[in-house]
Amino acid sequence: MNTILDIKDLRVEYRNRAIGQTTKLAVNGLNLSVQPGEVFGFLGPNGAGKTTTMNVLLGFVNATSGSASLFGVDVREPIARQRIGYLPELTYYYKFLTAEELLRFYAKVFGIPRAETEKRIDELIKLVELEPARKRPIKSYSKGMQQRVGLAQALINNPDLLILDEPTSGLDPIGRMKVREIIQRLKNDGKTVFFSSHELGEVETVCDRVAILHQGELKVEGRVDDLMQKYKANLEQIFLRIIGYQPVAVS
Amino acid sequence: MNTIFALAQVVIKELYRRKDFYVLFILTVLITLLMASASIFHDDKIVRYLKDICLLLIWISALVMAVGTAARQIPAERENRTIFPLLAKPVSRAQVIAGKFLGCWLASGMALVVFYLFLGLVCASREHEWHVFIYLQALWLQWVFLAVIIALVLFGSVIFAAPSSNATISIVVVISIWFLGSHLNTVALQQAEPMRSIIYTIYFLIPHLEWYDIRDLVVHNRPLVSGTICGLATLYGAAYTGVFLFATWLCFRRKPLN
Amino acid sequence: MPAPCYILALLLTLCFTLATSLQLRMHSISTGTPSDDMLKAVLGDGRRMFANHYFVKADVYFHSGYYPSIFEQGAKAPANARHMVEEHHDEGGDHDEHEHEKAMDFLGQPKDWIDRFGRHFYSSTHSHLDKPGEAREILPWLRLSADLDPQRIETYTVAAYWLRGHLGKVDEAEQFLREGLRANPTSYEILFELGMLYSENHHDSSRARNLWELALRRWQDQDAVNRPSVLQRWEESKDVGDIQPDINIYLKIITQLALLEEGQGDLRQALHYRELEVKVSPLPELVQVEIDKLKQKLASPPISAPTK
Ligand SMILES: Nc1ncnc2c1ncn2[C@@H]1O[C@H](COP(=O)(O)OP(=O)(O)OP(=O)(O)O)[C@@H](O)[C@H]1O
Ligand SMILES: [Mg+2]
Repeated sequence: MNTILDIKDLRVEYRNRAIGQTTKLAVNGLNLSVQPGEVFGFLGPNGAGKTTTMNVLLGFVNATSGSASLFGVDVREPIARQRIGYLPELTYYYKFLTAEELLRFYAKVFGIPRAETEKRIDELIKLVELEPARKRPIKSYSKGMQQRVGLAQALINNPDLLILDEPTSGLDPIGRMKVREIIQRLKNDGKTVFFSSHELGEVETVCDRVAILHQGELKVEGRVDDLMQKYKANLEQIFLRIIGYQPVAVS
Repeated sequence: MNTIFALAQVVIKELYRRKDFYVLFILTVLITLLMASASIFHDDKIVRYLKDICLLLIWISALVMAVGTAARQIPAERENRTIFPLLAKPVSRAQVIAGKFLGCWLASGMALVVFYLFLGLVCASREHEWHVFIYLQALWLQWVFLAVIIALVLFGSVIFAAPSSNATISIVVVISIWFLGSHLNTVALQQAEPMRSIIYTIYFLIPHLEWYDIRDLVVHNRPLVSGTICGLATLYGAAYTGVFLFATWLCFRRKPLN
Repeated sequence: MPAPCYILALLLTLCFTLATSLQLRMHSISTGTPSDDMLKAVLGDGRRMFANHYFVKADVYFHSGYYPSIFEQGAKAPANARHMVEEHHDEGGDHDEHEHEKAMDFLGQPKDWIDRFGRHFYSSTHSHLDKPGEAREILPWLRLSADLDPQRIETYTVAAYWLRGHLGKVDEAEQFLREGLRANPTSYEILFELGMLYSENHHDSSRARNLWELALRRWQDQDAVNRPSVLQRWEESKDVGDIQPDINIYLKIITQLALLEEGQGDLRQALHYRELEVKVSPLPELVQVEIDKLKQKLASPPISAPTK
């Protein structure tokens, strides 16, 4: 099986502009690979380096050293992004466009034929339940609605690999459920999903494999079942133990 | 190419959904009509001052619009983080720059057409003849002018962090080139040697934007600029546009985005 | 967002245009003074600067945009713009025309290819508004200039010259001159021009005479202490730059008076004016010829002297 997502010895340093400040090491010696058809959970506390890793995968940030590839193509080539869908962590879109227009624009960027575009837009809007708001400018949307638009645009090109940065943030319980269903369905269709999340219960139910990152370093990686067996605990307890959390005794 | 046009379309949509253009156009119309309604010695055939004022307003409006729009494009993409979902698609940064440029340029072209139509109407109502060709020529040259300006401002927008400072600096640079550029040789000849060569070098390096301003010829019913000359000026403008866009790409190519 | 700032800046710059245009409108409705005071209060001395700017603008229009910039220092801009009126009714115009041509050849040879190429895009040949009616194009700027600086006398005389002479708007010319006279009651230039209007357009010699005589008196009264010395200085050197315009108008007034009196048959009075003229004229020989002719006629009066 050929790897879909491959990260080798990735190291990312942010150079701080302020004088006198040193560089900030965000990711340190990360090795990771994701196989086709997997749902991969990318976990870690705030500031662990999850978003930074994803930014490298999408070519927004240059690796200080090491390499990353998607479908065997170096991430610096735009063509590597032809078959992926991406949902950024804080979603903002062109506020003056409507959801429909936004999706049409992204479809055009992918070179999707017009007739297919319209069909796809209808499907996606139904999927994320934005029917009543599809002709309203995005600036009039609530946070959760914007997150839904983000999810729709990530799926516009029917991608083989989805990179989702906290897809459930800002969503109501029904929305979360929906996202879980979508991920499940994508998995059934043979797609690969690579996503970060803080919802460990959710991760436990949908993920095949997880990786836990802490301060830029990979701490644990493996199949969810194996990990639970090994540590004899659920994912949340494993997570807390790995990042060294000591519960404060309350008397 | 499709990607570039799609990007351009978004820029154009943004522009006509904002109020800037309408405000500027209505202001121009109001001021021109107000000037036209003044009775000067009961003579209603006087037209050149109207052309002059209307063209001045058109130039100011077009410059403000082009600079404002172009200065905003890339910084707004970064600030609103819309660049992330965009670049996560198979879109290269060169395409982003080209699309933004094309969008700004086409949008300002459309605005120019509206403005010039109004100018034509005002003048025809007084002169009772249409000087169509000189208007077309003036429009075309102004559009080439705007191409250079937009490319310059885009270049500024990847260098300076804040769009407002970029816009201000660009406006100052453009206006000084526009009004002083053609006289730098005269100034240089009045200087002593080290300064002389420096000023002359600047004179040859800057884009000579004043060429594209043929308001004088339009206002005073002077003859058309010959086609060859017009074509050469267009090539010259295109070359500078290319240079600025290339410089923009060089700076933007490897810039980390966050 | 920079856009609002620019719109604000644009609005501010346009406010001035608007203010002046409103001013224009006010005039078409009534020659009201309140707006005048308001504008004065708002703009203060800047008015004069703008008035000058618009006056020059009229001259630029007169040359169809062909005009030296501040950088063409070799060229002396036709600063007082008198040529706007004189070119056409000077008898010795040929000479002046050449002078003016030379002064206006400020561009010279192109200095480099950019310079040469750039000349295609602006007015780079000398021309005047010669086509019938074209001269009307300079009027808005003169009107504006007068509104901004009512004390600028040339504005009235130049505008009136074109209005009555080339555009057939005698009433408007008279009205404008009278407006100028209200603002400058002692101006002999305006009085002279008004006299020209009565003489040439209304063929009303007696009013013309009254006006010119008044103009002459005003000329003599003005700066009364210096007048004699001005004349004296002139007679001595014939070329005193700063008083040249003053002398010119004086010459014009007395020449017109002499012609008028001669036409009306008052040869003695005509002779008196000619004798004044010969002292200051740049071409005294020609004037002397006139004087001799007059003297001859006086010596042998015709059988039936024309009576008025
Ligand atoms: N532009 C930047 N300049 C400097 N340091 C940065 C920059 N972006 C991120 N960092 C630092 O890099 C580290 C990793 O950040 P990152 O955004 O990858 O965390 P994360 O795992 O996505 O966290 P979260 O769960 O809060 O989204 C953090 O310590 C952060 O402070
Ligand atoms: Mg993150």
